Amino acid sequence: MTQSADRLTSPAKRNGKSALATLASNHYVLTALSAIAFVALWQIVSMNVPPIILPSPAKVAAAFVELTASGELIRATGQTVWPFAVGLSIAFVIGTSLGLVLGIFRPAARILDPYIFIFWSIPNIAWLPLFIAWFGVGQLTLIVFVFVSAVFPQLLTVEAGAKEADSFLVEVARSLGGTKSEILHIVVLPSALPYIFAGLRIAVGRALVGIIVGQLLIVATGIGYMFQFYGETLSLAKYFAPLIVIAALAVALNRAVNWAEHVLIPWKPRAFT
Amino acid sequence: MPELEFVNVRKSYKSPTGENLLALADFSLKVDGGRFVSVVGPSGCGKTTLLRMAAGLVPWDGGEIRLDGDQLTGPSPKMSMVFQAIGLMPWKSVQSNVALGIQLQAHRRNLTAQETDLVGATLAMVGLKGFEHYYPYQLSGGMQQRVGLARALVRQPEILLMDEPFGALDAQTRAVLQDELLSLWGRVKSTVLFITHDLDEAIYLSDLVVIMGRRPGRIKQVLEVKLPHPRYSYDARAEAGFAHLRSIAWQSIKEEL
Repeated sequence: MTQSADRLTSPAKRNGKSALATLASNHYVLTALSAIAFVALWQIVSMNVPPIILPSPAKVAAAFVELTASGELIRATGQTVWPFAVGLSIAFVIGTSLGLVLGIFRPAARILDPYIFIFWSIPNIAWLPLFIAWFGVGQLTLIVFVFVSAVFPQLLTVEAGAKEADSFLVEVARSLGGTKSEILHIVVLPSALPYIFAGLRIAVGRALVGIIVGQLLIVATGIGYMFQFYGETLSLAKYFAPLIVIAALAVALNRAVNWAEHVLIPWKPRAFT
Repeated sequence: MPELEFVNVRKSYKSPTGENLLALADFSLKVDGGRFVSVVGPSGCGKTTLLRMAAGLVPWDGGEIRLDGDQLTGPSPKMSMVFQAIGLMPWKSVQSNVALGIQLQAHRRNLTAQETDLVGATLAMVGLKGFEHYYPYQLSGGMQQRVGLARALVRQPEILLMDEPFGALDAQTRAVLQDELLSLWGRVKSTVLFITHDLDEAIYLSDLVVIMGRRPGRIKQVLEVKLPHPRYSYDARAEAGFAHLRSIAWQSIKEEL
C-alpha cells in the first residue's frame, strides 16, 4: 500500500515536509477537521435562516438525545433494520446463485434474461400497491419490496461476472483434467467473486431506498415513518435524527462490504489505495 | 518408455465465411519415449492445433492419436501441458497453483502429506523455494512460467506438451529457462513435444526437429540433432553442427513463408 502511495508522490513532496503538512496529511486529523468545518458551516447557515428551514446543530443533537432516550428512535431502527436485513439477505442468496446459474448455463439465460430485464426495468415503486393487495399492510410487504429492489442488481451483476470467466483459464483447468464441477469451483466462482461484491454494493443501496420508501408511503413504521411524521409536522430538529441513523447504517454497511471484499479477494493488485 | 503417436490425423476448421479450412491433412508423427521433439513451422501451419489435440482440448476429424498404443479420447492424466500464456489462477498462491496439477489429476481436493512434499520439492526444483505464498501478480513473467512448469511437472507426466512456453519472455530469461528445462528434462526423463517458431530454440533443446510446411499442415523435413547432452554444459550454439543444422532448417522454412 505504501509502495503505490510512494509511486504517486513526487520525491520533492516527500522530502522537506513541514510539521503542519505532516499533520494535515494524517487521515484521522483530516477527517476530524472536515467534520468540524461541516458543523461550523451548518451553524452559520442555520443562524441566518428561519429554524423551520434548517435547525441548528445543537437543536438537532438535543432532539437526537431526546428521541433516543424515549426509545422511539431505537424502536424505529429495529423496525427498519429487521425487514431490510431479511429482504436483502434473501435477495443476496437468490440473486447470487441464480446469477451464477444463468452466467454458466447460457441456454437458460437466453430464455430467462428478457423477463429479468423487463422486471428490472419496471420502477420498483410501481410494485408497491400490488404487493399490498397481495401481502397486506405489514412486514411481509416490506420484506418482499426490499427483496425485489435488491435482487435484480445482484442477479444481473453476478450473471455478467460468471459469463466473463476467462475461457483460457477454463481451458487450462480442462487440460489438467478438471471436470465441469471442478472448473466451476476453481475458475468460475473465484472470477465471479468481485462481481458478487459489486452487486452487493448496489443491492444494499437499493434495499435501503426500498425499506424507507415502503415505510414512508405505506406501512407507517420505523425510520421511514419518522421521516413522514416529522416532515409533515414540520418538526425539523427531530426529522434529522432518523436521517443520521440511516446515514450511519449506510456508511457502516458500505464499510462492511469493502472490508469483506478486501479480506476475501487478496489476489488483486490495487491501482489506487 | 511412453510414446505419443499421430496416425493420419485430419483436422479442419470452419472459416467465418463457412468454408472448410483444412488445418492438418493426414498428419503422422511418432514421438518416441524419452525424446525431446520440437515442431517448428510458419505461423498458421497447424503446429499449435497438433498440441492442443494431443492435450485433448480440441477434437479432430479423422485418424488416431495414441498414447502408449491406446487411443486418446480426452485430456490424459499421463500428460501435462505448458502454455505460452501460462494460465495461472490469479486467486491461488504459487503453492496452490502447483497443487492444482495434482488435484485435477486425482480429482481430490486434499493432498496427501506425500503429495504436499512433492509440491514443495517441485517448487524447489524450478527455483521457487520461498515464493510458495506469493500470488501470481507478484511474480515476474519468468517466475510465473516456472510456476507453470512446476504445475506440469508435479503431475510426474509421461509426456510433457509445451506450446511456445518461452515465447512471451525476454531473451535473457528465455535462455535461462531453456537451460533449466534441459536440466529438468535430464532428471524427470519424460517425453517432450515442444512447439516453437524459434529455430535456435528448437535445435538447442531437441533430439529431433520436425519442420512443418504451410497449411494444410504436413511434415516437410525431420532433422536429428546429434549434439551431446547436457547442452548447457558447453556452448552448444557455437558448435559447427548447430550452425549447419540451422542453415538447413532455415532454408527449408524459408520456402514455406
